Amino acid sequence: MNRKVWLWYIFAGGIAVGASLLGLLASSVMVSPETVFAILAKHVLRWTWQADIPISLDLIIWNIRAPRVVLGLLIGASLSLAGAAFQGLLRNPLADPYIIGVSSGASLGAVIVLFFQFSLWGLGAFTLPITAIIGGFVALVLVFGMTHLSSRSLAVETIILSGVIMTSFMSAIVSLIIALSQREDMSQILYWLMGNVGMRGWSYVQLLLPFALVGALLLLIHVRELNALALGESSAEHLGVNVRRKKALILIGASLLTGASVAVSGAIGFVGLVIPHLVRLVTGPDHRHVLPLSMLIGGAYLVLADLLARTVISPRELPIGVITALIGAPVFAFLLIRQQAGRRGRG
Amino acid sequence: MIRLTGISGGYDTDRPIVHDVSIFADAGTFFALLGPNGSGKSTLFKLMTGVLKSTSGTIALNGSPLSDYSSIERARLIAVLAQEEQVAFDFTVEEIVMLGRYPHQTGLLKSASRTDSAAVEEAMRTTNVLPYRYRSFRELSGGEKQRVLLAKALAQEPKLLLLDEPTNHLDVRHTYEMLDLLRAKQRKDGLTVVAILHDLNVAALYADRVALLREGRIVEQGDVSVLRDGSSIERVYGVRAIAQYHPLLPKPQWFMTPKPDTDVPKLAPFGESYRLTQNDRLIHLMFERPLRTISNGVNGEGLQWIRHFCNFHVDKDYHCPDPVADIRSWMEELGIPFEQAVGMMTAVKLNDMAVVEDETGPYKVLAVVTAGVTNAVDIANDRMPEPVTTPGTINTMVFTDAHLTDGALVNACLTVTEAKVKALLDMDVCDPNSHTIATGTSTDSLLIAATQQGEPTPYAGSGTMIGKLLGRTAYRATRIALEQYLRRTLS
Repeated sequence: MNRKVWLWYIFAGGIAVGASLLGLLASSVMVSPETVFAILAKHVLRWTWQADIPISLDLIIWNIRAPRVVLGLLIGASLSLAGAAFQGLLRNPLADPYIIGVSSGASLGAVIVLFFQFSLWGLGAFTLPITAIIGGFVALVLVFGMTHLSSRSLAVETIILSGVIMTSFMSAIVSLIIALSQREDMSQILYWLMGNVGMRGWSYVQLLLPFALVGALLLLIHVRELNALALGESSAEHLGVNVRRKKALILIGASLLTGASVAVSGAIGFVGLVIPHLVRLVTGPDHRHVLPLSMLIGGAYLVLADLLARTVISPRELPIGVITALIGAPVFAFLLIRQQAGRRGRG
Repeated sequence: MIRLTGISGGYDTDRPIVHDVSIFADAGTFFALLGPNGSGKSTLFKLMTGVLKSTSGTIALNGSPLSDYSSIERARLIAVLAQEEQVAFDFTVEEIVMLGRYPHQTGLLKSASRTDSAAVEEAMRTTNVLPYRYRSFRELSGGEKQRVLLAKALAQEPKLLLLDEPTNHLDVRHTYEMLDLLRAKQRKDGLTVVAILHDLNVAALYADRVALLREGRIVEQGDVSVLRDGSSIERVYGVRAIAQYHPLLPKPQWFMTPKPDTDVPKLAPFGESYRLTQNDRLIHLMFERPLRTISNGVNGEGLQWIRHFCNFHVDKDYHCPDPVADIRSWMEELGIPFEQAVGMMTAVKLNDMAVVEDETGPYKVLAVVTAGVTNAVDIANDRMPEPVTTPGTINTMVFTDAHLTDGALVNACLTVTEAKVKALLDMDVCDPNSHTIATGTSTDSLLIAATQQGEPTPYAGSGTMIGKLLGRTAYRATRIALEQYLRRTLS
């Protein structure tokens, strides 16, 4: 049993590495693998064996493709991890990272920047992600406040309902802004909303990284509490879990991951919903494995989705959210049917 | 182990459900919390598990206030088996049981150690869930789930186990298996059990102490015998409860009694409510309705409800190692359901039976007696009993249209026996060994059957109207039967 789980870790790690390499190598501009590795070595190890790397190739690989792949990995990992945690915490298989409205807060922040075209205190290009993070944070505080006012124990149903209220309210404002904007702005906003990890550069990676690290750490140290919560909150309480506190910490961790991801790359759908389910199918529902494996596989999935997004109709790019949903929805449907059929067969 | 002092509380602070409850359970004992629906059992339970906060009073665990313990410390001492636990996701049985180790896993990584696996294994073994350890928890039946959750609670290695209706989904076998298991844990590991139980009779069998709750207050508390007379149960549940002791254990059990059925068709008068048939083989009285019967018949002995009363003729040399089986097979031949029948045996000619009917005031009595005195014995004689060779015996059946309590039935046995002795005296029947007046034969049978109509009578001795009637009728019937027997044997 245990050995099998380790095999899955090796497999998941393998495809994460494989997907990243593929993401670095494959593109409309063909660069030989040797050159790609030489460029990577030059920047990572500050040493390389190829002396005459053309500056244009260096720019393409290191300043465009590498951050894109790393960002894809981080976003995919963050969303899948947050999704797995939300599903476990809310004991709801249909939960995704966007369920409690943090993402719509972040989206609203971003859309406001795109609409008003302002920049904050010399933040320049960072205005959008920072405003988005603030938007997400405000949404989280509002959801917490709403939940707290209506149920002192942070009841799961109340959290979900507050999230739904928050999401619809924020989405309504986003729709309002879209309706009010010019045609070019409108397409820009829509394009952003569909999600994208391209053309962000290393600075976005740097912006995301602290949130991703703190959020991931918060969730990964709470895998056992997530397991204990599977039998309900009072049952977890009886096992010695300080439910209110742990629940708040897990919510904050998952919200950090979600909010920062949406702020950086828009609301990329389906990764956070489907990947945890996929992982559960092979490892079982034990969160000690579901969370780390979701992270690895989610990262790989998003890198591959991004690869498709930029190569299918190259040189044009598809929004990555379209690809994840186009692949994710049928996969999800298939899994659902298989699971139901399996249950009937056994029953 | 746990002591609640003056606990009040509920879901709203201003509307407590539980009022001023003080109970305690010593280490290694079984405490049962009883009470009707809505009496506050579950609320009290939640106050004990810490899910609800009490508004006043204290809960002490091993002498220190419960609030002094951290969640983890508390979970190491107390495990809870609540009702209706729904599991999210497809956890296997073993994974569920492993959750019980949560409070024992320390350190940042907190992975399962060898002790954890051993505890889980042991818990699954004692609860008998090992066969489906790899199955999905969701696919189990209610009873299996309950056992898995018990295994989880035991894997927690608690000192105190709180159970909310643990036998809810269980059939009889699994109910008793679970409670036997808990008791074994109590004896072996000193586990303290506090359980909400619905079944008073089950509680009486297993609990060392009980508390009866009504409207959030303790009505009775203590040893099970505080509930013995059934009146507090009647008061709290509004159902008539008649207490009897368990036949094998010194524990009370209650018979819940439904409201009287008012739509019962009118009973025939006593004189027409039975059919008496007699031939060479058998005297058979069949009543319309079962009668409350006390007897020492070969079949149907003890206290019963009986419709068919049989006295079989057997040969003088009748000898059989299993007379019960014989009587049952004879009854079967004749289409008499032996579960509703008393069967006696005699070697006396059944033609010589005596049937006497009599009545006084509201009471009617019918006595049917067959008598043979070959084995007449003076009970006061101290000779050792001789092996019975021929069943010459006095079989007395007395039926009455009266309502006799259990005590009155015993009293009636006494009265009827006195009448029999007097008849033997008046007929000068002697013990052939001692040549003194006999008091009976060595194999007499007796039954008293009552219709249980009318007001209950607690006595049926010679100082009562019914006792007098019973004695007189039995005397006359015994005398007539003896006269007929003696006439036949002398001729």
